[in-house]
Amino acid sequence: MKIIKIQKGRDIPLKGAAEEKIVSLPLPQTVAVQPPDFHGLRLRPVVRIKDKVLVGSPLLEDKTDSRIKVVSPVSGIVSEIYRGEKRALLRVAVQCDGQQKALRFSRYSLKDISALSSKNIIGQLLAGGLWPFLRQRPFARTARPEDCVKAVFVQAHITEPLAPNLDFLLQGKEEAFQLGLDILKKLTSGKVFVCCSPQARSQALTEAKGVEVFGFSGPHPAGNVSTHIHCLDPVRKGDVVWYLGAEDVLRIADMFSQGQFNPQRTVAVTGEGASTRLYYQTVLGVPLRHLLMDPFLDEQRFLSGSVLRGTDVGPDGYVCFYDQQITLLPRGGKREFMGWLHPGWNKYSFSRTFLSSLQKRHPERHVSLDTDYHGGHRAIVLNHIYDDYVPLDILPYFLVRAILSGDLEEAERLGLLECVEEDFALCSFACPSKFDVGGVIRRGLRMLEEEG
Amino acid sequence: MRFLEKKLARFGELFAPGKPLEKFYPVYEALDSFCLTPGTKTVQAPFVRDAVDLKRTMMFVILGLLPCLGMGVYNTGCQILLAKGEAVTFASCISLGLMKVLPIMFVAYAAGGFWEVLFAVVRKHEINEGFLVTGMLYTLIMPPTVPLWQVALGISFGVVIGKEIFGGTGYNIFNPALVSRAFLFFSYPAQFSGDQVWVALDGHTRATPLAVLSNAGTGSRAVMALQESGYPFSDLFWGFIPGSIGETSTFACLLGLMFLLITGVASWRIMAGCGTGLLVTAGIFFLLQGPDRLTFFSLPPHWHLVLGGFAFGAVFMATDPVSSCATNTGRWIFGFVIGILIVLIRVVNPAYPEGVMLAIVFMNAFAPLIDHLVVERHIKKRTELMALRSGGV
Repeated sequence: MKIIKIQKGRDIPLKGAAEEKIVSLPLPQTVAVQPPDFHGLRLRPVVRIKDKVLVGSPLLEDKTDSRIKVVSPVSGIVSEIYRGEKRALLRVAVQCDGQQKALRFSRYSLKDISALSSKNIIGQLLAGGLWPFLRQRPFARTARPEDCVKAVFVQAHITEPLAPNLDFLLQGKEEAFQLGLDILKKLTSGKVFVCCSPQARSQALTEAKGVEVFGFSGPHPAGNVSTHIHCLDPVRKGDVVWYLGAEDVLRIADMFSQGQFNPQRTVAVTGEGASTRLYYQTVLGVPLRHLLMDPFLDEQRFLSGSVLRGTDVGPDGYVCFYDQQITLLPRGGKREFMGWLHPGWNKYSFSRTFLSSLQKRHPERHVSLDTDYHGGHRAIVLNHIYDDYVPLDILPYFLVRAILSGDLEEAERLGLLECVEEDFALCSFACPSKFDVGGVIRRGLRMLEEEG
Repeated sequence: MRFLEKKLARFGELFAPGKPLEKFYPVYEALDSFCLTPGTKTVQAPFVRDAVDLKRTMMFVILGLLPCLGMGVYNTGCQILLAKGEAVTFASCISLGLMKVLPIMFVAYAAGGFWEVLFAVVRKHEINEGFLVTGMLYTLIMPPTVPLWQVALGISFGVVIGKEIFGGTGYNIFNPALVSRAFLFFSYPAQFSGDQVWVALDGHTRATPLAVLSNAGTGSRAVMALQESGYPFSDLFWGFIPGSIGETSTFACLLGLMFLLITGVASWRIMAGCGTGLLVTAGIFFLLQGPDRLTFFSLPPHWHLVLGGFAFGAVFMATDPVSSCATNTGRWIFGFVIGILIVLIRVVNPAYPEGVMLAIVFMNAFAPLIDHLVVERHIKKRTELMALRSGGV
């Protein structure tokens, strides 16, 4: 394994990590797929309420390319097709019948798989509903089957606060993982990169063959896909790379070796608000209530994903398609007397303007944060702080300025194509003006995408 | 806190939409968030936020200015007593100094605050705490002899023309405190030229250290000329000389510098650039000294650090993040050129004895250009690097 050291960035030592123990859960009553999770797809339902579906039966398909399908993770009956404002499709829910009967696809022996062409592989991934697991850069949208890809990245290391340890999840799954990697290799003329933690112990990662394994050491965002791509094979205008999560590599392997859609998803329950924090083996699109054993406290925020990148789904929400973590965060908003004068022995800040920065940074010391904004919106004044949290070769302040002034050409030259909003989450976190840096980046990418 | 919160909420009802004081909501908002943290909650990722906000950041700049303010108050009183030839006691220095400085500060905050509030009300934005820093900086670069109406006029010009017409704090091109000072400098040269000292006592005249050197003719006896005029190095360093309120003491500026660097509020690159530029240029002049050259040439470089407003300008004025460069390389260049310009104006420009203010305002105008060049270079290097790396390591 080659090691790449990331210097810039910072870890937020949040309280409430999940204990490294996997517990299998019984099937939930309902599961849901949520079209807003799939950036770049325009999905329409192909089922109606009360239709019977099997594991792997299509629920949604893309309007522009009907080969791309999103399939059901359980067998049962379609119970809800929920639309929001302007009839935007927000959710398709399936009531489980508990039998998990699966739709059958072609099965291949190991020897057959090595003889498969990329066309066959793409065909099977599309038919089996695995396509949406592949995403592309630039724009972090669902991959397009006809694109010529210069590299495939497997994300086996997440550095966001309280993120699940993927190395731990891959232990004992080296065969399936290797098979998945072999299949991925056929999708690209370039290389397949597996990016993991330098401390990775699982043989699936350390012994992976035929691919490039890189360990990314250093603070967050060392585990972000943008960081990996930037360091190993940067995206220039016209380039496309694909990426996917480590667990989804196993899913691809199962599709070929077993001939069916593997709906399993391991979700880490994290955050100070959760009383039992474990890894749960369950299915895609599981409702949050199913994962939380305790009765809910009102003063919580229910996030699918991490505090830096997640979505607030509420206590009745479902885990988002790509997320492997839920975070329960205490609600903030307590007003404090003259906060600007507070000595701040127990305040958490990247800046050195609180007494807490005198405390020694102890690896075991964890902080408790809530959803308080800690200030009001202002124009950017301190423009030198962003640079410390973005390891990409990018000038964040100037990129933001270019987007705000609508100069997309300049933004592209400054490296907009290389990043997505999650890469700037730490900037938004640290900004004393409470400026939403990630939001501006998202807006810039949307504009660029629409321009074509 | 519940009590205060309730009181504020009830008071705030007067400013609600449709109520008589609706237009003045920014004033209420400023008061409210001054007393209590806003208590708003995040609605989208990132869901957690750093505890620091702009109020606290600005507060820390003001804390960094306190040594200069304290020293300024003391020294203003001290200079009056010395000029009168009376005994210097700590208490009398402070009380005399406060009598001079407090009115200036009060007028600066009142007049500047008026414009700040007016613009916030008309343009419907929040009252920005950056003004608190501007008002303090402005007070500290005023001569203690300044008439109060000039104080009000200067800050009005600075806040309106220097800041608000560009959109307020965060959008200004020039440092508003320096714009105010420059306005007064060119409008009322009699009071602001800096040839004669500013001791708040009628009829007292004496040449400033920089004027002593400018008028010293040719030769190599700069240090002696200063000492003969009653300006030894230690007085210049500790700040026991006449001058603008807060700028005389290099020591107080050093305390402020340490505070700003430890808390990470200001950019060290600009300060380091200023220091390097100044020392290098002064060093070159020092090497060129001779019997038929200007006496100023023979001043050892480190004397330049303690003269005039250099320390104050480099630590507090040039480092304003909004009006200086925003790239790291740019910050070095920005500071370095300021250092060069200061020495050039001091030594070889016959018109003005001091150049710190002019050098910084001048470079404020060039900061976007420097940034542009640095960013273009960055893009070029970046494109080459990407081409090199593309296709795998």
